[in-house]
Amino acid sequence: MTTTPTSDATTPLPGAGENAVLAEVTEALHAVLPEIGLEGTAITMDTRFVEDLDLESIDLVTLTGELGHRYGDRVDFPAFFASLELSEIIGLSVGQVVRHIAGCQG
Amino acid sequence: MSRFLFVVPPFVGHINPAAAVAAELTRRGHRVAWAGLPGLVEELAGPDADIHPCEVPRDLRRPPELRGAAALRYLWQDFLAPLAMAMAPGVERAAAAFRPDVIVADQQALSGALTAERLGIPYATSATTSAEFSGALAGMPKVDEWIHGLLAGLRAELGDPARTHDPRFSPDLVLAFTTTALTGESAAPPQTRFVGPALARRPDTTPFPWEWLDPARHTVLVSLGTANTDLGGRFLTECAAAVRERSPHLQAVIADLGGVLEGTWDDTVLAVRRMPQLALLRRASAVVCHAGHNTVAESLLHGVPLVVAPIRDDQPVIAAQLTTAGAGIRVRFGRGDRHAIGAALDAVLTAPEYRAAARRVQESFRAAGGAAAAATHLEEVATPIEENEEVAPTGQGEPGRS
Repeated sequence: MTTTPTSDATTPLPGAGENAVLAEVTEALHAVLPEIGLEGTAITMDTRFVEDLDLESIDLVTLTGELGHRYGDRVDFPAFFASLELSEIIGLSVGQVVRHIAGCQG
Repeated sequence: MSRFLFVVPPFVGHINPAAAVAAELTRRGHRVAWAGLPGLVEELAGPDADIHPCEVPRDLRRPPELRGAAALRYLWQDFLAPLAMAMAPGVERAAAAFRPDVIVADQQALSGALTAERLGIPYATSATTSAEFSGALAGMPKVDEWIHGLLAGLRAELGDPARTHDPRFSPDLVLAFTTTALTGESAAPPQTRFVGPALARRPDTTPFPWEWLDPARHTVLVSLGTANTDLGGRFLTECAAAVRERSPHLQAVIADLGGVLEGTWDDTVLAVRRMPQLALLRRASAVVCHAGHNTVAESLLHGVPLVVAPIRDDQPVIAAQLTTAGAGIRVRFGRGDRHAIGAALDAVLTAPEYRAAARRVQESFRAAGGAAAAATHLEEVATPIEENEEVAPTGQGEPGRS
């Protein structure tokens, strides 16, 4: 039996640039955290790193390194993470990172 | 003879190493007293302990769903800071009554360090986990700033506002109950002494059906420590299932404080409220745990590799240390299922490098000296060699305490 994948209609679709970035960030997540078992989880702009993906701050540092490799000097990831207040790190979403990257590229 | 006052938070994992060091100091003829939560300290330090009671916040339980930075904010803002305020009057009364030469202040019982500096009493820091000097917050300076702001507020209330050092690190001595074989490169300040795990000599009288252990199969111990009862149900169930799928060559003893496995006792899985962990480690082939520092250290002290599922606080840091050292595998606490846990168990049980790495850490722990080394460092704080200047020199080797 085959099923047609449907897009998640409840999540607002990111803009074209953001869409590509979201795909890249998703790939980076799979690359650095293969053991996390993301197969059954759709990564959207609303996905939160801690609550939804079970990541710790130490994983975010790893992810930062991977994104750094992918985007090079175009995006200053350490500065982005260093700018986050404690309250912003709590509840940090994939969308926040994607929008930051897209903003740097725009 | 010197007098040592131990200031401890109401956490089992913080009192146990202190109790081992206190017992060693007592054995050497020193006087030891405690400031902390009376019932818990007595349970862990023994009925003869000289305990000066401290108030602690009434609700010691943290909302279990908090993880990551949310857990960190709660720990500091809603627990450690109120704990310091609540304990401080008791610590001060203890210092007045006992007149210690040295205060041994747990790193999380900040009232110990701050009261010591205000009263001008030398203090040593007892760091029962190494996360505070792991640099885990290195990429998030605003979190570190936030903690420093909170510490400065506590210092203004309880300490000596003229001091500028971080009260989590005594300028004289920081005892770290681990070694660099596990921590790797660390940001520990130079006054840190890595003494390895300090284990109590008191026999563990927890009953256990030793005849249940099957010498023909590997025994796996599963424990989520004493502070995670609310969260562990799903994970423990998956652990039990993973072991069942491997029952021809595996059996598991599961510490099930919350009773989620309802007293399972069959040929493969034994669920118990409490287990004599140290005695069982001598028979265990692997440990599955939450990467609490003490459980990891005790396992490695026995050369036993681990599968770890860190939940929060220092646990992700300790888990990273363990996997970097090569002595274990990390799985996800929130998402790890029987397949992930089972595959990790297969690896640590069959690939020899995990056990070899655990043995390397074991050797470093044994060489580090444990409670005896900690006691010797504390004696040096009590009778600093530099203070000889006040005494007319009588010869080489003063003050001669060793």
